[in-house]
Amino acid sequence: MALTVEQIRADVADVLGEDPADIPDDENLLDYGLDSVRVMALVERWRRDHGVEVTFVDLAEEPAIERWAPLLGART
Amino acid sequence: MTTLLDPAVPRREAATGTARPAPGLPLTSAQSGMWFAQALDPDSPAQNTAEYIEIHGPVDPAVFAEALHRTNGEADALRVRVVAGDGDGDADGEAAGPRQVPIDIEPPGRQAATRPTGPDGAARRAFPLHQADLRGAADTDQGSHAAALAWMRADLAKPFDLASGPLFQHALFRVGDQRWLWYQRVHHLVMDGYGYSLIARRVAEVYTALATGAEPPPSPFGRLTDLVADDRAYRAGDGFAKDRAHWAATFGAALPTGTDTPATGSEPGAPRALDLPDAPSLAGRTALPDHTFLRRTAHLGHQETERLRALAAELRATWPDLLFAAQALYLSRATHSEDVVLGVPMMGRIGSAALRIPGMVMNVLPLRLRVRPEDTLAHLVRQVVLGIRAVRRHQRYRYEDIRRDLGLLGDGRALVGPLVNVMPFDYGLTFAGARSDAHNLSTGPVDDLTVNIYDRADRAGLRIDYDGNPRLYTEDDLAGHQRRFLDLLARLADLATDAHAPLGGLSVLTPAERALVLTDFNDTARALPPTTLIGPIEYRAARVPHAPALVFGDQTLTYAQLNARANRVARRLTELGVRPGVLAAVALPRSVDLVVALLAVLKAGGAYLPLDPDYPAERLAYMLGDASPACVLTDRATHGALPETAVPALVLDDPEVRADLARFPGTDPGRALTPHHPAYVIYTSGSTGRPKGVVVPHRAIDNRLRWMQDTYPLRADDRVLQKTPSGFDVSAWEFFWALRECATLVVAEPGGHQDPAYLAHTIRDQRVTTVHFVPSMLGVFLTEPGAAHCTGLRRVFCSGEALPRETVTDFHRLLPDVPLHNLYGPTEAAVDVTYHPCAPGESGPVPIGKPVWNTRLYVLDAALQLCPPGVAGELYLAGTQLATGYLGRPDLTADRFVADPFAAEPGARMYRTGDLARWRADGAVEYLGRTDHQVKLRGLRIELGEIEAALAASDEVAAACVLVREDRPGDQRLVGYVTGHQPAARTRWSAPADAAAGADRPAMGSDESTHVAAAPTAPERAGDAGPDTAARASRPGTALPEGAPDVGGGLDPALLQERLAARLPDYMVPSAIVVLDALPLSPNGKLDRKALPAPPAAATGAGRAPRSHREETLTRLFARALCVDQAGVEESFFDLGGNSLLAMRLVAAIRETLGVELALGTLFQAPTPAALAERLRAAAEGGSAAGADDALGVLLPLRPGGARPPLFVFHPAGGISWCYAGLLAPLGPDQPVYGLQARGLTAPEPLPAIMEEMAADYLDHLRTVQPYGPYRLLGWSVGGVVAHTVAVRLQEAGERVELLALMDAYPSDQWRDLAIPAQADAPRALLRMAGFDIQEGRALTREHVLDTLRREGSALASLPEYTLSAVVDIVVNNATLMREHEHRAFDGDVLFFTAAAPRPEDWLTRDAWQPYVTGRLVNHDIDCLHPQLTQPEALAVVAAAIREWPAGNA
Repeated sequence: MALTVEQIRADVADVLGEDPADIPDDENLLDYGLDSVRVMALVERWRRDHGVEVTFVDLAEEPAIERWAPLLGART
Repeated sequence: MTTLLDPAVPRREAATGTARPAPGLPLTSAQSGMWFAQALDPDSPAQNTAEYIEIHGPVDPAVFAEALHRTNGEADALRVRVVAGDGDGDADGEAAGPRQVPIDIEPPGRQAATRPTGPDGAARRAFPLHQADLRGAADTDQGSHAAALAWMRADLAKPFDLASGPLFQHALFRVGDQRWLWYQRVHHLVMDGYGYSLIARRVAEVYTALATGAEPPPSPFGRLTDLVADDRAYRAGDGFAKDRAHWAATFGAALPTGTDTPATGSEPGAPRALDLPDAPSLAGRTALPDHTFLRRTAHLGHQETERLRALAAELRATWPDLLFAAQALYLSRATHSEDVVLGVPMMGRIGSAALRIPGMVMNVLPLRLRVRPEDTLAHLVRQVVLGIRAVRRHQRYRYEDIRRDLGLLGDGRALVGPLVNVMPFDYGLTFAGARSDAHNLSTGPVDDLTVNIYDRADRAGLRIDYDGNPRLYTEDDLAGHQRRFLDLLARLADLATDAHAPLGGLSVLTPAERALVLTDFNDTARALPPTTLIGPIEYRAARVPHAPALVFGDQTLTYAQLNARANRVARRLTELGVRPGVLAAVALPRSVDLVVALLAVLKAGGAYLPLDPDYPAERLAYMLGDASPACVLTDRATHGALPETAVPALVLDDPEVRADLARFPGTDPGRALTPHHPAYVIYTSGSTGRPKGVVVPHRAIDNRLRWMQDTYPLRADDRVLQKTPSGFDVSAWEFFWALRECATLVVAEPGGHQDPAYLAHTIRDQRVTTVHFVPSMLGVFLTEPGAAHCTGLRRVFCSGEALPRETVTDFHRLLPDVPLHNLYGPTEAAVDVTYHPCAPGESGPVPIGKPVWNTRLYVLDAALQLCPPGVAGELYLAGTQLATGYLGRPDLTADRFVADPFAAEPGARMYRTGDLARWRADGAVEYLGRTDHQVKLRGLRIELGEIEAALAASDEVAAACVLVREDRPGDQRLVGYVTGHQPAARTRWSAPADAAAGADRPAMGSDESTHVAAAPTAPERAGDAGPDTAARASRPGTALPEGAPDVGGGLDPALLQERLAARLPDYMVPSAIVVLDALPLSPNGKLDRKALPAPPAAATGAGRAPRSHREETLTRLFARALCVDQAGVEESFFDLGGNSLLAMRLVAAIRETLGVELALGTLFQAPTPAALAERLRAAAEGGSAAGADDALGVLLPLRPGGARPPLFVFHPAGGISWCYAGLLAPLGPDQPVYGLQARGLTAPEPLPAIMEEMAADYLDHLRTVQPYGPYRLLGWSVGGVVAHTVAVRLQEAGERVELLALMDAYPSDQWRDLAIPAQADAPRALLRMAGFDIQEGRALTREHVLDTLRREGSALASLPEYTLSAVVDIVVNNATLMREHEHRAFDGDVLFFTAAAPRPEDWLTRDAWQPYVTGRLVNHDIDCLHPQLTQPEALAVVAAAIREWPAGNA
């Protein structure tokens, strides 16, 4: 099943322990507690659940949902 | 969205103007820290990082080498060397500093080019790759693997040369047909852990491509210039300042605005308060990183790891968060602090271009957490999640910068505890299909402890490496911490552990450790008969009626006599209502009657209440009122001093009473006494302001005495000295032990316990075999000359405070055949509960030892969980010896005597001592300090709260605080701080922001009381040192801080002291009271004890300079005794903080150094160096009228007295011999010393024309002291040449010269061709005589010289004007004489001292003496420069060699 931006947001909120509504598209997720372990968790999760292959570096370079969406092939 | 990285950081590529651009790039701030660390210790390999990757499959080594070379070629951050800056900023205006310069590296297999061809003009380097096939190195793959690892370890110990590079090294080993090891070592300055993963991934990628004949994909790496630009942009931006402020606020530091330098106070005395845990690390101290580190590797199993992951997910956290929480929990318990700070290494790359750059970026940041037993694991993990999030927002600010901002650089104070380094990247790389796994070998320098945690790709669990600094941890320490951490993780992973239960339920020790500390170490059960304190005494009295029981002065009582006297009094006491459970007070000085009275109370079945007649009436009245004894036993002299009271008195020396007592039979009275009845009640200091009475039952003290007799058996011919005041419980065993064992009790005179000389002769004359000392008093006793004669002692006990190892060493040296025992215990547990025999030759802290019979010790953490061995916690006591409680204070009793959760029997209690302690591995306990504000001062237990309450009772005092300071090592004293009532506007110190801008923190050691006051062991002990009457006599009292003359609303410190003296025992009255505007507060509003200023000592070098060698020597001795840098000539010893203990030390030092016996009283009459010097002079000269000039005469009697042949010392170039004064102390008091000095120092005189003339003159003077040989001569510098000349003349006159000692003196041949120093050099010679070396080439004015001398307290500074001018001529004349002198040969051996530190005059050689000495030149190298030979350390070596020089030599 392909990823959606909302799914990305939900997954991000989950690993950050936050409410999805509090995660904006355009903010640096670093400020929300994103760290390398959580990035790795997302890489794993999206590979496992959605068959999406991204690397740690891909996601960690510009940690914001709006930057990730195209990388992950997500529909808006 | 946020700008993640601004790529357009302006950077001019080319230099403008005329400056040549500096090569390469500046270092990033991350790199700078590494550079400085390496520069501090260039030979250290500590900055090496290394790992190896194990490849399971075939590898083509040539292709692999190519892959390595290509990858390294792509990583420009790696291919640099680092050169020091040239001192000018570069063309971009960057600050000067080290630069990283690219280097060229040849492909593998090619040698380094010999000609400079690189871009920086340096040679191209060979590719640093070592390849070896180790399959033949051992029989098995494992053996080959081990051989490869051995090579790696050896390589890891090699430091890189930053200036030459390359800063990386590769190796490829074949250790099996299908096993290869690829090893990399990289300097931390160019690489971090994440960088390794980038390199390894790229090498795998390139190798895989090349191995299949394909061209590798394009390089993914970013460039070093981006890292540098990014770093520069950060440091110039707003984020930097915000981050800086964040970290300063986290630790309570106030930053100055607009400057990089630490705050300097504008407010004199304003405290600077940092908000840091005291000792954040498991080691409890800090050290520089060693060249190597200890590593222990362990694994957490798959199941536990998975369960931890699940638990983390439940708590909406990650598994690293959970590990941080677990480490914080462990740290909190192990450091006994709720406040913990972990160090968290962060890769620092997310959202940054650095993500693709293999280089050095990582940072370490402090994660501060509060771990409270009542909080849950869930709560702690949440704190971690939020804490890490906050840290991450400020993660670019460098760790080194935080430490600098807090003023911790060079402070030796740690900011964080263990580093918890989580590395979630286990790169499961493949090399052309061959799988691999990575193994870290070093993550860089280990300051303290680093916990490296690797999530393993094979999902086999976590690898947890403990890396420790070997200067702080032993292998065992490290293993213990690691084992317990893994055990804790396993228990957290256990499904039975509830993350929502209080953390207090979790212990941090393993089950095996629990059994050890609970059962094995406390295996003390011993069945004993149910007896009382008094029963065994009556039993003995009946059996040995004619044996001597008691000796006091010239009186001796037999057992029968003593027993009968006590029985008559007991029968009278029964009439007065004394019976089991009833108290009778005893207010008597040490005497026969005191012993009789104590026995009588016990015989009547009562409990005795000792009242020290020296206590203030107010306190005695309080005790009488509080305890309501049935009567008070006293004598006529004491009775009058007791407060008015309704309690009936029995005055034992009243003739009427005596007559009345005669009516009673002298037989033992009957009584219904059980072991549970109280035996005595002793009052101790109480924190609430009221002393409290500890009720000790018979079974407790009976157990204590039975254990003591079993452990240190007394025989009938033993004699025990009773010297401890009855108000301290040590006296309990002193009074009763001997009488229970047919031995003899020797009672010291009142006051005798404070007089070492009296004690020494009493011990010797009365054949005392058993004695007790408070450690500080033992230290003083050992300096008493008579102590060495106390060889009849069979055992000495110490207790009352921490026993310093030096005291033990001194003891064993002085009395090698006498056993010394260290005991510990509070009054609340019948005197002592632990014991330790002090064996000679041991080192380290002296433990308080193991538990006595029927006694259990628990070391508990804040959650009342058992601490493992090695971990500090609060000491709790349980067992038979516990007191019943506090008299009439059930609340207090319930607070300190709590339910024992570890005991098998129901209702068992344990006593909370308030002492910090830890188990040693052998089951002995070490005492570490206090957990509260109770302190011990010279063995006396003091609750600071009681003194504070007494201070605050004065109406004009608004707030009061008391602490024990140790501004001079070894000299603890009480200091009170008070504030007055005043307008709010004046309380400026209470505002933290202002407070932080203040003056320096108090001197080291002047810590808060609970730390320093260290008040060792047993509450209660002794009173050996007793009331400090000496200090009281001239107590300076008090002082207002300078510059704050009117603070405190007119508080009068002297008046406050007077009031305290009326309420409190002497030893509880602070020796100084400081009036403050307000008490300093830490940022969280708590009293910041560390910020309280030292009481301004009147002190330190003020006033005129010393005028004579005697004055100079005395100021030095004063300063040493007081542990201050300097003491002024006219400053009173007592004004400078001297007390009776220190005074005894000073008297001993004066005896040692000057060879004069000084009564302590003389020091009180003449308490300044000047006055004392005058006394000594008058005494020595019988009142002759010699003035100060005698110190400049030709013959200077440095120490006239002593049994040995005198030592004559000859002046150096400047003509004055005062520089030899430092020889006096190390030579010992029996060695007379005379100086020979130049003519013409005080009045115009012709100077000698040749050396022989000078020698002849000195010889005449020397003969007035010692007409015939054998002679002993010594000279330093020119003085050596003079001494040699005099020695030759003496021999030629037929005299024997036993010793000729030359201190770095060289014969005339060596000087002859050198220019004679100009007169301008004379000031230098003067300084040299005073022991200073001044760099050549600096112009010295006379003022400069005099300033230096004055500053250093040299007596030379006070030379009269005439003499200073004369010295100039003398220096020049001596230089001339020395060059012209023709030596003749000295017949015999010469003792020589070489100043062996490297010096410019490397042509000087002692071999030049060869022609002028017929015997040997016995040389001692002293590691110092020529001028430093007269410093104390060097003179100690000289003196030792002189003492050992055989008489009759030469």
